[in-house]
Amino acid sequence: MNKDKIIIDPNLSSFFSWNDIIRYKSLLNNLAKRDFLVRYKQAFAGIMWALIKPLMSILVFGYISTKISNSENTATNFVYVASAMLLWQLFSNVFNDVSNSIISNSNLFSKVYFPKIIIPLSTILVCLVDFFISLIILVVLFVISGQSLHWQIIFAPLFILLTVINGLGLGLYFATINVKYRDVKFIVPVILQFGMYVTPVIFNTNYYLDRMPSWLHWLFCLNPMVGAIDGFKYALFGSDSIYNIYYFSLSVCVSFLFLFIGIKYFYKFERNFVDYI
Amino acid sequence: MSKNTVIKVENLSKQYLLNKGGLPKSDTLFGSFLNGLRNVKNITSKPQTEEFWALKDISFEVEQGDRVGIIGRNGAGKSTLLKILSRITPPTKGKIEYTGRMASLLEVGTGFHGDLSGRENIYLNGSILGMHKHEIDRKFDEIVAFSEIEKFIDTPVKRYSSGMYVRLAFAVAAHLEPDILIVDEVLAVGDAAFQDKCLGKMNEVSTKEGRTILFVSHQMAVLSALCNKSVLLEKGQFVGMGPTDSIINTYLHRGEKNTGQNYDDSAPVKGAKLKIRSVRVLNHVQTTVSEINNAYKGFIEIGFEVLEKSRGYDVSLELKHLQYGTIFTTCLKDKDTEGNDNKVWEKGLHKYSIELPMDLLREGEYIISAAATIPKVEVLDVFNYDTLFSILDSTSPVAKTTEGRNGAILPVIEWKKTDSVII
Repeated sequence: MNKDKIIIDPNLSSFFSWNDIIRYKSLLNNLAKRDFLVRYKQAFAGIMWALIKPLMSILVFGYISTKISNSENTATNFVYVASAMLLWQLFSNVFNDVSNSIISNSNLFSKVYFPKIIIPLSTILVCLVDFFISLIILVVLFVISGQSLHWQIIFAPLFILLTVINGLGLGLYFATINVKYRDVKFIVPVILQFGMYVTPVIFNTNYYLDRMPSWLHWLFCLNPMVGAIDGFKYALFGSDSIYNIYYFSLSVCVSFLFLFIGIKYFYKFERNFVDYI
Repeated sequence: MSKNTVIKVENLSKQYLLNKGGLPKSDTLFGSFLNGLRNVKNITSKPQTEEFWALKDISFEVEQGDRVGIIGRNGAGKSTLLKILSRITPPTKGKIEYTGRMASLLEVGTGFHGDLSGRENIYLNGSILGMHKHEIDRKFDEIVAFSEIEKFIDTPVKRYSSGMYVRLAFAVAAHLEPDILIVDEVLAVGDAAFQDKCLGKMNEVSTKEGRTILFVSHQMAVLSALCNKSVLLEKGQFVGMGPTDSIINTYLHRGEKNTGQNYDDSAPVKGAKLKIRSVRVLNHVQTTVSEINNAYKGFIEIGFEVLEKSRGYDVSLELKHLQYGTIFTTCLKDKDTEGNDNKVWEKGLHKYSIELPMDLLREGEYIISAAATIPKVEVLDVFNYDTLFSILDSTSPVAKTTEGRNGAILPVIEWKKTDSVII
C-alpha cells in the first residue's frame, strides 16, 4: 500500500490546493447539506423563504427605481433591478456568511483536522443553492415583461462566478480577522448596507457616472461588484450595459486582486486559528 | 526512522503566551486600536506576556501496531500533544513525522447537529472524521448495528437520550479505518457495558489489523488493559516511555506525598451549614499514619463542624484505589445506630471514624475524599483535599506467593468441595 509520509513542523505552511478539496469532497457536500437542511427545518414556509426574501427587496427597490427614474416601461425596469438585486444578494450572502463561517464552525476544526478552506467553500455552496432558487423570480419577470434572451446569455455563469469570487475574497479576509476580532460581525453588515448604494443595483452604472465628476469615475469602478453586475446585465439584456470597457476591466481586476489577498491572508494565519478562537 | 516506526516525535515543544499585567492585549478591534495609540505614546512599554511551555522537548517513537497510553496529571500536556499530533494546532519547535492515514477522536460526535437525523449525522460526522461517502455507504449498516439505535435512525438526534447519542457517535468513530488512531478519554462517557464494547473494538482493530493507537486516559485500569506501552508526561516534560505497567507504577509514585491526613482551617463560606475540617487515616493504635499494614486494623476519621443547628445532615467518605478506581462510598446514615437519621445536630465539632474492611482491600495507593450533604436536597460541603495513603500487603495469598492477580478488591474466599452431580 502506498502510504504518504507526513511531516508536521512549525514552518509548515499550506496553501490552496485542489487535491485537498477533492480529498475532502464529501465533507464539503455534507457541511453544505447540513447548513441547508438545518436552515429550513421547523420553518412552516420552508424553502419558500429563499424566494420571499429576495422578492421583497426586488418589489421595494424596483418600485423606488421606477418612481425616481420615471421610466416608461415598468416591467423592464423591474427586470433590471431584479437581475442586479439577485446578484447583489448572492454577493452579500457569500461575503457575510463566509466571514462568519470560520468562527461558527470552530467546534469542528478545534477537534479534527481538515483543510479549513472547506468551511467557507461549503458556505458558498449553500448561498449558490439559494441563488438558483431565487432565479425563479427572474424567469417569471422575464416572461411578464416579454424580454427576449440574447446569445450573450452564455456569459451569465461567468459573472455569477465573478460575484462569488468577490464575496469569497473579501469574506476570507474578514473571516481571518474575525478569528481574533469579533467586531467583524458588526462591520460586515454596515459595509454591505453602504455598498449597495455605491453599486449599480437600483440604477445602472451610467445613472451614477453621469452624475459624478469624471475624476470620481475610476473610484466608483474600483468596486468589484460593478464589473460583475454590469457583466451580468450584459449577458441578460445585451450590448449597452457595459458603460465603458476600461472601467469594466478595472473592476474585474480588483475582483481578482481581492481574491488573491483574501486567500493569501487566510492561509497565512490558518494554522493558528485554533490558538486564537 | 526504523522500518516499523510509524510516528517519530522529535524535540516537540509548544509555547503559549499568557497575558500578564501591563497593557492588556485587547480582544476588540477598537480596544486594540486604543492600545495602539497608547503604545505610540509609550513606545518602551511592550505588552507584557508570559511564556508558557505546554510541551517542552518531547521525543519518542511509536512502532506499527503499538497501543500507546499517554499518562500524566491534569496540565501535563497530554491534550496539547494530541492536538499537535492531529494537526489541529502547530508546534512551536520540533517536528513529527508519521506514515499513513491518521484519525483523531478528541471528542465523540464532533459536528453532530441536533436538528439532523441519526442517518444524516452519520454521514456528516463520518465525513468530518475523514471518511469518503462510499466508505460510509459501505459501513452504514454496521455502524447502525453497533450503536443499537436501529429504530431511531431517522429521528433528530436532539430527541435522543444522552446514551444513544454517545453510542451513535462512537459507532461512527469505531468504523474509521485509519492506520493511526488518536483517542482522548472519550470512553469516560457511556455505560460500563458500552465502554467494554468500545475497548474491545479498539483492541480488535489494533491486534488484528495492526493499527497503531494513541490513547489518553486517567483510568489506569483501562490503560493497562488496552495499551502495551505508555508515555509519561509531567508539566510538559517527557518523563519516560516503556511497558504500561511500569510507567503506571512510576506515575503513581511521583508527585504528591502520602501523609494520611488533611486539615482545613479556612473560614467557612457565608451561610454554610456544615464544614468538613479534617480527614485522617489511623492505624490499630489510633496514630495518624500514611501506610497501613493489612495484618492490622485501619480506620478513617473525619471531623466536621456544624455551623447551623439542624437535622438531616449526612456525611460520606469515598475510598478510591489509584489504579482501579472507586472501591466504595460509605455514609454516616447507612447504619442508623445512634438514630442519626432524625438527630438534631448541635453546633460545634463532631468526629466519627470508620473501620476499613482490611480483609477485602488489596495493596496499593488509595485516595479518600469526603463530602457532606442533605440527601436529595443539597450538597453542603466537599472536602478540598484528597487524602492519600497506602496499604501494604503482608498477609494475603498474593503476598505470600508474589503472583499477580486481577481485581479491585482481594477477598480471601474459602472454596468448598461439593458433591453435586449436575454438570
